[in-house]
Amino acid sequence: MTTVSLTINGDRRQVDVEDRTLLVDLLRETLGMTGTHVGCDTTQCGACTVILDGKAVKSCTILAVMAEGAELRTIEGLADGDTLHPMQQAFCDNHALQCGFCTPGMIMAAVNIIERHGTDIDESLVRRELEGNLCRCTGYHNIVKAVLDVAGKLPRASE
Amino acid sequence: MTQKPGKLRAEFRTELPSGWAFDEIEARIGPIRDQLFKQIGQPVRRKEDRRLVTGRGRFTDDFSVPGECYAALVRSPYPHARIKGIDPSAALELPGVLAVYTGVDALADGLGPIPHSPVPSTKFDVRLTAPDGEAPFIGPHLLLPIDKARHVGEAVAVVIADTKARAEDAAERVDVDWEELPHVTDSLEAIRPGSPRLWDEVPDNTLVCSHFGDADATDAAFQSAAHRVRAKFHINRVTAVTIEPRAALADYDKASARSTLYAGSGGAVRQKRELASVLGIDPDDLRVLSYDVGGNFGARNRVYVEFGLILWASRKLERPVKFTATRSEAFLTDYQGRDLHTTVELALDENGQFLAMRADNVSNVGARCVSLSPLSKGSGLITGSYHIPVAHLVARAVFTNTMCTQAYRSSGRPEVTYAIERLVEIAAEQCGFDPIDLRRRNLVSADQMPYRNAVGAIYDSGAYEENMDKAMALFQWPDIAARRDDARARGKLLGVGLANYVESSIGSPVERAEIAVSPDGEVEVVIGTQPSGQGHETSFAQVVADMLQMPVEAVTITLGDTDIVSVGGGSHSGRSMRHAGTVMTMASADLLAEARRRAGAEFGTPAEDLAFEDGAFKCRATNRFLTLSDLSTATAPLAVARTNEMHAPVFPNGTAICEVEIDPDSCQIEITRYASVDDVGRCINPLIVHGQSHGGIAQGVGQAMWEDCAIDPSSGQQIAGSLLDYGMPRADNVPSFDCEIAEVLSPTNPLGIKAGGEGGTTPALATVTLAVLDALRPLGVRDISMPITPERIWQALASAREANMQELVP
Repeated sequence: MTTVSLTINGDRRQVDVEDRTLLVDLLRETLGMTGTHVGCDTTQCGACTVILDGKAVKSCTILAVMAEGAELRTIEGLADGDTLHPMQQAFCDNHALQCGFCTPGMIMAAVNIIERHGTDIDESLVRRELEGNLCRCTGYHNIVKAVLDVAGKLPRASE
Repeated sequence: MTQKPGKLRAEFRTELPSGWAFDEIEARIGPIRDQLFKQIGQPVRRKEDRRLVTGRGRFTDDFSVPGECYAALVRSPYPHARIKGIDPSAALELPGVLAVYTGVDALADGLGPIPHSPVPSTKFDVRLTAPDGEAPFIGPHLLLPIDKARHVGEAVAVVIADTKARAEDAAERVDVDWEELPHVTDSLEAIRPGSPRLWDEVPDNTLVCSHFGDADATDAAFQSAAHRVRAKFHINRVTAVTIEPRAALADYDKASARSTLYAGSGGAVRQKRELASVLGIDPDDLRVLSYDVGGNFGARNRVYVEFGLILWASRKLERPVKFTATRSEAFLTDYQGRDLHTTVELALDENGQFLAMRADNVSNVGARCVSLSPLSKGSGLITGSYHIPVAHLVARAVFTNTMCTQAYRSSGRPEVTYAIERLVEIAAEQCGFDPIDLRRRNLVSADQMPYRNAVGAIYDSGAYEENMDKAMALFQWPDIAARRDDARARGKLLGVGLANYVESSIGSPVERAEIAVSPDGEVEVVIGTQPSGQGHETSFAQVVADMLQMPVEAVTITLGDTDIVSVGGGSHSGRSMRHAGTVMTMASADLLAEARRRAGAEFGTPAEDLAFEDGAFKCRATNRFLTLSDLSTATAPLAVARTNEMHAPVFPNGTAICEVEIDPDSCQIEITRYASVDDVGRCINPLIVHGQSHGGIAQGVGQAMWEDCAIDPSSGQQIAGSLLDYGMPRADNVPSFDCEIAEVLSPTNPLGIKAGGEGGTTPALATVTLAVLDALRPLGVRDISMPITPERIWQALASAREANMQELVP
């Protein structure tokens, strides 16, 4: 067992984990933070996306011990009390989620797009950036709309 | 379905069988007045979103129970192999391993097969039978087989350990003594005499063979026809890829002898009923919880062996047991979809009028028959949106050494839509008709409804030609030539594919609603459907809110807990909004009748003199009123329950058009435009319905372009075992969509609902394929099979070049 110290959503945490523990399992199993999901075992689906030291990463492909000293943000830390993060609000407003399973990872990836690119984004950039997050319900149409909505750039009025 | 075998012709404005049209008097609901609708038809934001965007969803694997242990499965590496023995000793030696159970143990404990009911059972479903006319043999689905494994990935033993990793390690040490047997994975191979047989009971692996329509009249029409065209297609096998892998957690309470199963599914009531039967326990001793479900698309409707296995293990070990499939397990053993071989023929007169159709459909059901819905649904719709006076269909279902297939998004309809639309296009080209004119000439028209097609399905309502015109306008059809020129200037080949579709939504016929208004004004609705993203908590609340004239915020929908929900058909076949909308409307009428009676008694006036407005009964000529909550007390709550049985199918329909650009050098395909018009009947929430269209299109496009459960015939192995090798629609390979909703009400239910969940998928296989063929036609390509990968395009272009060369060299 190894002790890992990291900051999760602003709280400093110390957790004992087996060396082979994945970061996503530390979140879900050790800490009971089940907002971050697991949809595959090959780093393809992106349901486990979190923001680690300012970068969107897939937490199923990082060992928990590699997050030593890191600052981690997950879906649980995004809203400010009852006030949703603008990306969460845009997902609701644009019906950018159906079953909601990919949503936490999708939102974290989307938040990070805005953080890295600012609001100077267009549909093709958003689509390229979200290529690593799979959604089976929405056909991505409304997800792309939601991200552009946050950036103030909805391309067209049609649904 | 009311076909008389041997003498069936299509019929305009057909006479309706008893129980087909909705009768508001018999249903005791009275007329529904559209002008009262304030919420119905509005794009109300979803109630379920807040928990899902904040990470507070309740998906199956999110649940944990103290002391839980984990199940891992020992699976067959062979498509067909006899189990000569299973030695668990090496596994049991590992630390933390609690048990290894085999099929022999399950049999000794009296566990039964999963009681699948594969033959669709409503009054209007087509009747599929065994070749001898009897009920088909479906292959008993034991939790673990005792004789042999019949497909790669079939579980033959279950290991329980205190951690997931230990269970997986131990599963690898279970020693199975296999005797490999010859196998067959393709259904056309499987029906050949002498092919390896999966079940001794079923010769030629053919469990179903049924005929529909009128063979003699069809033969006669073909003989005298000016034109005849014929084509063979394989609609490839795909899988649902719900992003949430299937999972379950079984918890046994020894004191009460009850089990609780947390398991996301397509309907908890069915899971409870069938799993109780497997375990041989009283259904009351099993509670199934299905809260947030991370996608279904049909794959979660039926019971999985793992659910029964962990229930059984948790009762034996008196410990909670959890199973969460890996993505690889999901690829191997989620119920899969499609896999239909079809041969279709069309006869036309010299003007392009369709005269007759023949179809021979062979459905690959896999190693056991879990569902005949795909074959059945497709059988009723072989003639598509077109008037074809006579037809003859042979429908067969076949066992093979593959994972079982099941209804997958728009079960059976994309297959036959693909077949008829491609056939129509072939007819247009071979006989020299414009493909749009040919469709227009033969579409069933609005004034011919209700229309009984040549195999007996009765289309309820629709304006098919209007759909096509609207979709072409949305697509900016007249500009195609200019766009084609523009693409050519950029070195790209542009192609356009249009498909009309009609589909049948039927589904389990019984649904129940319980509605209670509390004294503080909260409305609780208990219903037996099971959403997996379709927004029932919102759209159902909209319906009840309008019926009771209450705010939508006051209405809470409760579902997914079998201790609360006693009856319900789950969600499949576009049934939920229609069945729930109907029974909630009925229950609302009952509730208002009771409230009116109470209000009359309070006011001391005849109940029928009271007016009902804005959620309150008003005494005319006075300003006295009583709200529904006023009329509900803790001791006498205002609460009703209604169960409804409804058999008549509805026929959502529409038109979709796809545009692609192909790079002839790299053979990359880009979808540059996609438009659709979908007649869903009454649309309750356009935000949600549009979302369904978008997702449905992506799923259909996925099958056409990337998705494929390819099976290597020599080894019987499925080639795609992960998301690395199963191509999926992604944000960067699908476009934004131009979708429009059409609302031609259905006469079969009080709100006129059809369905909105599957129309996106149904025509998409055809639109993409036809668009690609349109782009490649100038280069001599006439056929291409799905998925249309760049490799397939390259092969098609190479073959066409070779053929052209041979034509040039005499």
